[in-house]
Amino acid sequence: MQHSKPQTHDKPQKKYYSSKKKFCHYCKERITLVDFKNGKILSHFISETGKILPGRVTGTCAYHQKQLSKAIKRARHMALIRYIENRK
Amino acid sequence: MNKYEIGFIVSPEANEEEYKRIVESVVSTINKGGGKVEQLDEWGLKKLAFPITKFNDGFYVFVTVEMNGKSVGVVEKRLRQIEKIIRFISFRLDDKLEKANKLTKKWKKQDQLLNKAREARMESETTDENGDEEDEHAAQ
Repeated sequence: MQHSKPQTHDKPQKKYYSSKKKFCHYCKERITLVDFKNGKILSHFISETGKILPGRVTGTCAYHQKQLSKAIKRARHMALIRYIENRK
Repeated sequence: MNKYEIGFIVSPEANEEEYKRIVESVVSTINKGGGKVEQLDEWGLKKLAFPITKFNDGFYVFVTVEMNGKSVGVVEKRLRQIEKIIRFISFRLDDKLEKANKLTKKWKKQDQLLNKAREARMESETTDENGDEEDEHAAQ
């Protein structure tokens, strides 16, 4: 072995790679301001139980994630999205 | 003068006349406060995601307005007074415009660069094809 690295950890760490590369939906569609009235799109960024998903899961950039969390809260207030989805 | 968005839900118990009267009264209060109605979206009767005060659906209305911050409070007061309005919301729209404009500029630059790269690739492909043909001719 020519390129043997010095072992720092006792256990070998596994690396996981996702097959698809994540991207920000709003950056791709060139939308600057997130609209809270479109409940269908907002529902993509919500977990099964109705929680707001973090940006590192969905791939949204920080600028849009900040607006998104606020938009989801507004949509909940106006009864466009549920606060809690049905649990099993 | 700033841009605001005001939305409210009218209860399904209201008649058509009552509903129209409510919308008109809200618009008139906006106009009294020196505001301008830019857009009036009426979605009609829509199902709510969850029941509000035992109602399962309601009339959705969204208005984008240009007016002073002080007169927004007056409109909110009026919305609270009307009993047939189940829920309302009001917030500023144009406080993030600077950053949004910056982003659009950035995207324009990126798009231009991408288009240039695409055109260059297309041209190179066509030239490559021609080059291959020439090579074939030479071989023959």
